[in-house]
Amino acid sequence: MTAPVLVPVRPRPGRRSLLAALLGVPFALSLAVVAGELAGSGGAAAARSLLVSVLRPELSPAFLVTTAEATAVTAAYAVAGMSVAVLLGVPGALLVSGVLTRRPVTRAVTVTGGRGLLALLRSMHELVWALLLLTVLGLNPVTGVLAIGIPYGATIARVLGDRLLDVPQAPLDALRAVGASPAQVLLHGRVPLAAASLVTYLAYRLECAVRTAAVLSFIGLGGIGFQIEIALADLRFERVWTLLAALVLLVVTVDRSSVRIRARYIV
Amino acid sequence: MSAPPTSDAELAQARALPPPAPPVVRPPVRGRTVVLGLLALTAVAWTLVLSQAGTPVPRLAEVGERALGLLTAFAGAGQDAPPAYTDPERLRLVGRLAVDTVVMSVLATGLAAVGALLTVGLAARSLAGGPGADRWDATRRLLRRLLLVCVRALHVLTRSVPEVVWALLVVFLVRPGILAGALALAVHEFGVLGRLGSDLVDDVDRGPLRSLRAAGAGKAATLTYGVLPQALPQLITLLLYRWEVTVRASVVVGFLTGAGLGYQLRLDLSFRRWTDVALVLLAYIALVWAADATSSVLRRLAR
Repeated sequence: MTAPVLVPVRPRPGRRSLLAALLGVPFALSLAVVAGELAGSGGAAAARSLLVSVLRPELSPAFLVTTAEATAVTAAYAVAGMSVAVLLGVPGALLVSGVLTRRPVTRAVTVTGGRGLLALLRSMHELVWALLLLTVLGLNPVTGVLAIGIPYGATIARVLGDRLLDVPQAPLDALRAVGASPAQVLLHGRVPLAAASLVTYLAYRLECAVRTAAVLSFIGLGGIGFQIEIALADLRFERVWTLLAALVLLVVTVDRSSVRIRARYIV
Repeated sequence: MSAPPTSDAELAQARALPPPAPPVVRPPVRGRTVVLGLLALTAVAWTLVLSQAGTPVPRLAEVGERALGLLTAFAGAGQDAPPAYTDPERLRLVGRLAVDTVVMSVLATGLAAVGALLTVGLAARSLAGGPGADRWDATRRLLRRLLLVCVRALHVLTRSVPEVVWALLVVFLVRPGILAGALALAVHEFGVLGRLGSDLVDDVDRGPLRSLRAAGAGKAATLTYGVLPQALPQLITLLLYRWEVTVRASVVVGFLTGAGLGYQLRLDLSFRRWTDVALVLLAYIALVWAADATSSVLRRLAR
């Protein structure tokens, strides 16, 4: 648990109600827009069979093997995608945070240029990347790995860069005072100070990568999402629940083990 | 062991005792094991991924050629039809679809926020039992614990399943459209906000809660007057961050639920209308950046 953050509670009625209006009015308007869609969207029968099948998910050995294979493929895509993302993200973080450059002019150029490039790479969802890469690379596993690796790499570069900057400044000043170069300040100051938060963030991204990898069926690659699509097309809802359970289990496993590794080795 | 033993008797007694256990000292860095393990895991993952079926990976020169071809097609080269950028009707259509996409994301975030606000109180440990709750008898406290576990499980379940999978399920139940997309986004977002929100509620200062309880406030009053005033600014900040993520995801969800820019992207891709694809992608990127700017303005207001 992090230390409690005390938020000063000051009565600012004007600002409060403005914010409430800015948040509430768009929501109310959006509700009004879809009000027409609510009527007659009858899926009651489908909902019933979907819910009834929760009670008896398919657990036949053959299907459990299929589920295990799909889960392994999804996990493998996530890990392979993260390896690309880290290879892109760590140098990117050093570039856009400007921690290695000494001259202000060079720093301004790399930081501004790098941030713009990252914003562009980051702004498209992984699966939109997948669609574009599909037309260039064709339908093969590398497309799936890069679709995770490129946008994740850009996000990781941005966040790790920010976290390398957001460390206590006094130890860094001490290092500089004894003549440390920017690289030495990075290695002996910034990295140790930010290590826990960097590792936590990478572990969180791995968890996200598992979710993304699960839906690479979007462009036609295998994994849990592909099996879910097949099961839905065959109206085998009892299979959908088994697959969803496997996905939840995989995500929770990644979450738990990252918490454990962090507690044991970092903090 | 305090002072060294002085008499023989004390020495004998000290010998009879088992030697003091050496202090447990963890080696400061055992990171090498972790790093090696991760490298092995990566190697296994790549092997498994590359063993998957697919078309052969094109050579690098071919990739460059195709990428260049795609970019020139986006720019409108070598096509009979006039590019979509110059067609006012197309521009109007994309504008309308962008509005639909925003509606979808706002609706999704709003629904998820309502759901999360209703459940964070139940999922937060700071409100379940603890000191000051002794007027609750054992059975009721057990029930509350059970409810906490159930709500947490619901958050984990909805969060672990990505929006796209929820979208596949939702289109079975709801007519394709904005609402279906918003529901799929909202279910996943409910889990995310629920988890992060209950962490925030757990981290509030307990002092005010204790004084409220001591003054006889019930659970609901403690939540309203003790927890929310502390956690609300951070909850709103969180909500705005997640809205940005939702805008980004709404295109993909719209692809499946037949609404907004996503559905148009699907149509244009399947008809290979490349300038239209480029127009939709530009509108999408502009939307994501506008959401980013809007949310940072609103976040400043919430602080």
